[in-house]
Order: sequence, then C-alpha cells, then structure tokens
Amino acid sequence: MIGFKDVTRIYDNMTALRKVNFGIGKGEFVYITGPSGAGKSTLLKLIYLAEKPDEGTISIAGWETDTLRESAIPYLRRNIGVVFQDFKLLVNRTVYDNIALALRIRGFGETEIKGRVQDALKLVGLRHKNDNFPAALSGGEQQRITIARAIVGEPTVLLADEPTGNLDVDNAAGIMKIFKEINAKGTTILIATHNRELFRNTGLRVLWFDNGNLVADKEG
Amino acid sequence: MIYSIKLALKSLWFEKWIHMLTVVTIGVGLFVLGLIFFSLYNIEGITSRLPERFSVTVFLSAGTGNREINQLRVRLREDPIVKRIKYISKEAALVELRTSLKDAAYILEGLDENPLLPSIEIRLKENGFDKKKVEGLINRLKSLRDVDDVVYGENLLGTIYTIRNAVKTISAGVILLFSMAIIFVCYSTVKILFYRRKEEIEIFKLLGATKGFIRLPFLIEGGTLGFLGGLLGGAGTYVLYRFINGTVISDFPILGVMHMPLGLVAALPAGGAILGIIGSTIALGRLKF
Ligand SMILES: Nc1ncnc2c1ncn2[C@@H]1O[C@H](COP(=O)(O)OP(=O)(O)OP(=O)(O)O)[C@@H](O)[C@H]1O
Ligand SMILES: [Mg+2]
Repeated sequence: MIGFKDVTRIYDNMTALRKVNFGIGKGEFVYITGPSGAGKSTLLKLIYLAEKPDEGTISIAGWETDTLRESAIPYLRRNIGVVFQDFKLLVNRTVYDNIALALRIRGFGETEIKGRVQDALKLVGLRHKNDNFPAALSGGEQQRITIARAIVGEPTVLLADEPTGNLDVDNAAGIMKIFKEINAKGTTILIATHNRELFRNTGLRVLWFDNGNLVADKEG
Repeated sequence: MIYSIKLALKSLWFEKWIHMLTVVTIGVGLFVLGLIFFSLYNIEGITSRLPERFSVTVFLSAGTGNREINQLRVRLREDPIVKRIKYISKEAALVELRTSLKDAAYILEGLDENPLLPSIEIRLKENGFDKKKVEGLINRLKSLRDVDDVVYGENLLGTIYTIRNAVKTISAGVILLFSMAIIFVCYSTVKILFYRRKEEIEIFKLLGATKGFIRLPFLIEGGTLGFLGGLLGGAGTYVLYRFINGTVISDFPILGVMHMPLGLVAALPAGGAILGIIGSTIALGRLKF
C-alpha cells in the first residue's frame, strides 16, 4: 500500500528524514513514534503529497512520486484521509459543511452527502453538533470532527498526526476505538504520536524515528 | 458545479460592499464603452448613407458618337464600385435646365444651338466606398478621349474618408483601454478575494480538490461582477438615450437621426461577463499543489 525507498527530505539545511526505507501492507495498523522533531509529521506530509522527497521514491496505492503528474495529485489525495495535527477545519462553516466539503470536492450529490455525513458524525459520536461552528466545540470535539471529515470519503489509507494530542485518557481511548473500527473495515491506518501509552502492549507495528532516521520497526 | 455556484453566491453576498464598488466601477467603464459603440454605430450609419448622396458626373465631349457613349455605359456598369448610372443627353440636360430655371427660362430664348454637354451621372456602391478606388475610377475616366471633364465632390469624399478612419482608430484605442481597465478591476477584486480565502483554498487542495473546483467559484464571481456591471452600464446607456430622444431632441432636431441598437444594451452585460472572466483567470494564475 505504502512504500518508502531511500527517502530523504531536507528543509533548507535541516534533514527531517534520512534514507528511510519501509513498506506498509493493505489493512495494516501502524504507529509512527519518536521525539519531537524526529520527522513524524514530515513522513505523513510526504504521503499526502504536501511535501516532495528530495531523494528516493514513495509509492502510494499503486502510484509513484517519480512519475506522478501534478494533475493526478487531487485524485490520489482522495484515497488518503488525513487527521491534521492542527485540524485545518474551516472556521466559517458548520460542522456539517466541514465534513460535507470532503464529499463535495469528490462531486457527490447532496442527498448522498447528507447520509454519509450523518453516518460519519454518528461514528465519532457528535450527531447533535451538526449546526455548530468549530469555534463552539472543545478541542477533543474538533479532533473528532476532523476524523469524521477524514473518513467520510472512505479512503483506503487514513493518516493521523497526534490524534490524541488534546485529549484526556478517556477521550483518547474513544478515538482509538474509532480507528480500530475503521481499520476493521479494511482501511490502512498510520498514526503519528509521541504518546507511547497508545501502543504499549497492543502488539501493533511501531516505526521508531529519531532525528530523521528510522531506528526501529517492531511490535509495540 | 451547483456547489461552486453556491460558493460564489455566498462570497458575493458576504463581500457585498467591495463588490458593489467593483460593479459600479465596471458599470461606469461599460457605460463609456456603450457610449462609444453607440456613437460609432451612428457615425457609421450616417457616413454609410453619405455615398448615396455622393455622385460623379462625367461630361462627354461635344461630338461623342452613340457607339462610344454606349461602350462607356457598358464599361461603367461593369465597374465593381458603381451602383447605377444615368445617361443625360444634351437635350435632356437642356430640359432639366429649363425646369430648374422656371420663370427665368427666357434667358435661354436667344440660343439657336444647345450649348450643353451630354453627361453620365454615376452613383457609387456603399461597400465600394474607398477613397483610393474612387480616385482611381475618376483618373481612369479623365484619361479617356471622349471625356471632357469629371466633376465630383472632392471635399465630401475626403471628409467622409477622414471621419470614418479617425472614428475607427480612436474608438478602437478607447475600447481597448477601457476593456483593459475593466479586466484590471475584476483582476484586483478577485485577487483580493483569493488572498482572503488562501487558507481555505489550501485546505481544499489537501482534501483532494481539483484546480477546476478551486477556480470555478472565482470565475463565476468575476463573471457575475462583470455581468452586473454590464447591466448597470447598459441601463445607463439606455436612460441617456431616452433622455436625448425625449428632451434634448426638441432643441437639437439634428440628433433625430440617432438610433440605439437594442443589441448593444444586451451586449454590455455579456461583454462585462467575458471581461470579468478574463480578469479572474489572470488573477488566479497558475495554481500549484
Ligand atoms: N516547513 C519546514 N521548514 C523548515 N524546517 C521544517 C519544516 N517542517 C519541519 N521542519 C523541521 O524538520 C524536522 C522534523 O519536523 P516534523 O514536523 O516532521 O517533526 P515531528 O516529528 O512531527 O515533531 P512533533 O512531534 O513536534 O510534531 C524538525 O526539526 C522541524 O524543525
Ligand atoms: Mg508533528
């Protein structure tokens, strides 16, 4: 599903990722961890094509960054749902419109959108917040809206950058439960986090990064 | 598509003040354009009717025989810029002179011989009305053996020609200038809107929006601004025309020949929309992912 081959990303003169190699199969549930500045967010950005590798090749769902045409980028991104570290919700739109946007971009009709948005909101337990604006929601609620927007288009890959960063233990557990449900339906999931509690004793795969290097690839 | 229209309408409403200003500016610009087209249309109308009044009279030498006259008539009829010709024999010319003299006709009494020359009066085609062609024809006629003299309205010919050319050149320049100004107004408005929504657009891109999806609302917006400006300008032009026709015309009856092509009023909104879309397209430039 996702393959990194000798991938290096350098910002100005700061090497965020250095010769990284790994592969993730379809339906896998993988954690990416490491200290702050290790390169976790950069790795996810490379996957959803917000960044380009300086060296090496990334393959995503059958596409290769080497040969990818710019006009194909939107269509590739539709296969990837992203829970951004900073949410990236539209402040002047309701919860409903924020989630519906992902489907409008894909050209869905309004009736279909309505059903899907309601399903996504139900999954994250926020059906009653339909008409609220993001500013009227708590951090944890905003995070769940972001998750709902990421999954509403039924992507094959779901990326989440510190999805429990703003949450208490109970809420974090709730969100992890949602991810497991989505994963159970066959979606490949990558979660970047420095919260080791999330994967401790789960038996799930964890990629450890430090200072831009992939230092370990083992079970949590 | 429907969603893009919704986005555009929402933005139009949300930013209504800046848009009102833009629409008025475009309206004024298109109003001026409307006036130019209006004037152009009327000047064209007037000058294109002038050639009908313009005639060339070819006086033939006294002893020209019928055969030569007929040859010349055939030749003239075949000329591409000649509309029709009228042969006036010297007898007919005398009759005409008599009638025009009316009571004073007695001054012709003492003549025992007709002193007048036969002539051919030439009317030109409107589309063949070109100074060079007309002068070419006249010079050819003058060089003929049987032609005594060629009389034509030299000044009229020159004037028509100059007016038409000057009007066309100046109008083209002003139209170009105002079109560019309108494009620029749309360009800057859409540019401002684009920067205001920059963050939103970044999110759109990350969610998988195509360039078309991002562009369309702005193009609709720019087009709508141009269209509304055109409605305003068209309304202005029409009101002014009614005013001229109603009030001013009683003082200056000359203006009665003016016409307002209704197509022009309708063309302004369409033209505005096109200029608006052009301006928006330039403002958006090349989007990058
Ligand atoms: N746009 C950028 N320009 C310059 N340097 C950057 C940029 N983005 C990231 N970096 C640098 O690259 C390195 C890796 O950043 P990244 O955001 O991937 O770390 P991270 O592992 O996600 O950290 P955190 O846990 O704090 O989110 C950091 O040293 C950061 O300063
Ligand atoms: Mg990060």
